[in-house]
Amino acid sequence: MRWFNIIRDRLRALRQRETVINDIDREMRLHLELQLEANIKAGMSPDEAREKALRSFGNVNRAVDAAYDVKGGGLIETLAQDIRYGARILAKHKAFTSVAVITLALGIGANTAIFSVVNELLLRPLPYRNAERIVMLWEVTPQGRHQNTTSRGNFRRWREQSASYQSIAAFSDQRVNLTGVGEPEELSVQYATPEIFNVLGVDPMLGRTFLPDDDEASKPPVAVLSYELWQRRFGGERDILGRQLTLNNEKFTVIGVMPPNFQFHIKSRSGTGRAAEVWSILPMPVAAGASERGRFLSVVGRLKDGVSADQAAAELRTIAARLSDEAPQFNKNYTAEVLPLRDQLFGNVRRPLWLMLGAVGFVLLIACANVANLLLSLATSREKEIAVRTALGARRFRVVRQLLTESLLLALVGSALGLGFAYLGIKALVMISPRDLVSLQGVGLNLTVLGWTLGISLLTGIIFGLAPAVHVSRLNLNDSLKDGGKSESAQAGGSRRLRSALVVSEIALAVVLLASAGLLIRSFIRLQQVDRGFDTDNLLTMVVRVPDARYREDAQFVNFFNQVLGRTRNLPTVRSAGMVNFLPLYGGLGSATGFKIDGRPEPPPGQKPSTDVRVADAGYFQTMGIPLLRGRNFSDGEQREPKHVILINEALARKYFPEENPIGRRLDVAMFDKPQPAEIIGVVGNVRYDSLIDESPPAVYFPHPDLTYSFMTLVIRTDGDPAAIAPAVQREIRALDPNQPVSDVRTMNQVMSEWVSRSRFNTLLLGLFAGLATLLSAVGIFGVMNYSVARRTREIGLRLAVGAQPRHVLLLILRQGLLLTIAGVVLGLLAAFALTRLLSGLLFGVDALDVPTFTAISLLLVIVSLLACYLPARRAMRIDPLRALRYE
Amino acid sequence: MAKNKADLLQGTLDMLILRALSPGELHGYGIIQRIRQLSDEMLNVEQGSLYPALYRIEQKGWVSARWDVHDTGREAKFYKLTRSGRKQLETEEAGWDRLVLAIAKVRQAT
Repeated sequence: MRWFNIIRDRLRALRQRETVINDIDREMRLHLELQLEANIKAGMSPDEAREKALRSFGNVNRAVDAAYDVKGGGLIETLAQDIRYGARILAKHKAFTSVAVITLALGIGANTAIFSVVNELLLRPLPYRNAERIVMLWEVTPQGRHQNTTSRGNFRRWREQSASYQSIAAFSDQRVNLTGVGEPEELSVQYATPEIFNVLGVDPMLGRTFLPDDDEASKPPVAVLSYELWQRRFGGERDILGRQLTLNNEKFTVIGVMPPNFQFHIKSRSGTGRAAEVWSILPMPVAAGASERGRFLSVVGRLKDGVSADQAAAELRTIAARLSDEAPQFNKNYTAEVLPLRDQLFGNVRRPLWLMLGAVGFVLLIACANVANLLLSLATSREKEIAVRTALGARRFRVVRQLLTESLLLALVGSALGLGFAYLGIKALVMISPRDLVSLQGVGLNLTVLGWTLGISLLTGIIFGLAPAVHVSRLNLNDSLKDGGKSESAQAGGSRRLRSALVVSEIALAVVLLASAGLLIRSFIRLQQVDRGFDTDNLLTMVVRVPDARYREDAQFVNFFNQVLGRTRNLPTVRSAGMVNFLPLYGGLGSATGFKIDGRPEPPPGQKPSTDVRVADAGYFQTMGIPLLRGRNFSDGEQREPKHVILINEALARKYFPEENPIGRRLDVAMFDKPQPAEIIGVVGNVRYDSLIDESPPAVYFPHPDLTYSFMTLVIRTDGDPAAIAPAVQREIRALDPNQPVSDVRTMNQVMSEWVSRSRFNTLLLGLFAGLATLLSAVGIFGVMNYSVARRTREIGLRLAVGAQPRHVLLLILRQGLLLTIAGVVLGLLAAFALTRLLSGLLFGVDALDVPTFTAISLLLVIVSLLACYLPARRAMRIDPLRALRYE
Repeated sequence: MAKNKADLLQGTLDMLILRALSPGELHGYGIIQRIRQLSDEMLNVEQGSLYPALYRIEQKGWVSARWDVHDTGREAKFYKLTRSGRKQLETEEAGWDRLVLAIAKVRQAT
């Protein structure tokens, strides 16, 4: 009852301030009149009676105020008052307010934008039921390659021998051609064991997902569609269930449609580079031998309650060790690992993202320091006003509260504008984010993000508001009132030190950011300069994938691709053309396997040398500009029929034939069911296939007839713009087969640019933040120097009057600024030494303590702050001594 | 004159107001007069402290207030003890009696 009365009164007081005050007023007036009458009755003169009555009442207004306070004026009313007053002050100091608000908006906007990404990728639950129970299972090869796919045989044994999982499923992404509905199109299909949807814990929107016995060979093939594919290709028609789908010339019955936005895509280990739009059953041959060869399965499992990922990993390692003994010919020295799904999906962006959040945190701190500085100047110029208020009876707490209200008001206005910046920032982030980074499509301003923004703006309001508020609360009334704020009081000296400290920290923070950005920029440049082993200009690439089911014979595939190349070479502006199965740096994995050198003893299991395996034609090397170092290229005959010949790269020649001529030697590369040695006919230059960062591993090249693939990447070198030739090439392919789609039409420069896009993204962002930080600290140092010159006008005037040269004044001011800058740079460098180690994973070819970078950014900051000091210094130089002295 | 006046002890004002209202409803001026009478002119409550206290008590629900016509013909705000106010008065007076007793004992002992 009691709290209800209080709240009712307070609300009433707030809404109807006039009525409430009127009420109180009426009551007191009556009281006064009654007292007056009583006094007259007691025999006083009317004047005396009135005076006495009033005196007994004390101060009428104060009594009304005190009474009103109880009625509910109190907190809410004074808050409203503070806000009104604060708003008036801010509106009065327009320049100050706009600079402060924009500074804050930049800091808060950048923070909000980055946080929205962090929230989406690292904090928000994954879109699967109890996603924290989902883990990925991988093998580790004897060569130490992590997250390696496994074989069907091993998957089966993992499933049988493990006890950690509720369910476990294997899957493999593949590209297939969809035909029969409109234009032929290449789709990404996830072939999976039936448990996949149980593991992920996602129900279909329409129809059903797989049943446990859907994988039996007797059952008709079934398919589940993504919502997006259903909409795009089938217009979202409900009668899709039961319809037939033609994938690679095979019929599938549609049994279900998944909900919108459902996807399950392990980008770094997918053979397709894009999320699946169709799910179908992974064939698991019963015959033992067939399922051991070929490691191409990814495995995902849902942990039982109470089982941790570490326990599951320990179990899987035990199983792997057993398999290594049981089937050494396939599994010798293979181990295994378990990775929580979130680590799998976002493990590689986690560190850069936290770093970015840290970086924008620094920017925000700098912004806070700037605004604190501005507020301090404002507070100093308001010293007199505040002293007057205190003298008139305002309590100290009340004044501090007023100032804090003002800074919170600033912070809130700043964050409102900041949200606008963040909105644009997020749009820009999504636009420039690399395609191979995780999908940023879902990133936006949601409630969590807004809560974060509100939180940081309140926090910043308190942080930058505290310094001036504390400063003011220490004000000595007498001093401030006496000197009218014209010369430096002891308090002002304290505030000057505080302001210098703020500027020094700003510069230090900017140094850390600049150092990090500088290191990333140098890495990026290094990355661009890596010798990738081929010439990227004027090259067009495209993938042509022939449905497996269309041709029976290898020769038919070989013939088809030879015809495509023949027609392409005859097109105008085409200088040369070739093909390879896996293009360098295309963004996915190529194949690799073990091999044996004829005439050398069999190495023990697990120590077999291994090599990348590529299929290419003679035109590939010419077109890419890969040099032939020894021997000869493939002949025409070798490109029509299998002749068991190979080319090797320089790395393989160096590693395994250091002292001898490899030409004429024979290698048995384990790509075939039975040993099939091939003769080395030449050595070609190294090419960076998987990464620009790692050295090229050994590689062998088969001609197409020896190792036939159903897909090839065409590479075409042109005179002039390579993209312009694409339609003509596609026309030629259509002419050969109207149902044949092509995909991934990209120039080689685009391929390269996508490969470095993540590095470019990080560099761009951090560079942007560092630039922002530098700009803000320049504004900060400008503000402090400008203020200092204004305060020292008289002193400088005096100096000039007694004969100092303007030059001396200039130096005086510049020296002051330079001292602050150097202090900041030194502090910042110390911090950077400690912090840039965090960047080490993102750097390439640059040490985390790279001296040239650190020197350059130190110089940059010194120059920038000297420029920022120059304007105030010039003002100081032009002070007119006469006017400065009269000013007193 | 000041000598024979007692200072109000912190926290006793509420009790006095409640006691003054216990015979029937009164307006603010009346409350002060009643306290003065009852204390033989020794307690003089200042108007400046009466009203804040009165509003606080009203919010606590110990008194209810209404506007009515005063015998002088003017409108006045009348306060009346509520049931919970009566209870509060008992509690406060019992507490006060205990305190007085305790103090008396301490004083006799020395």
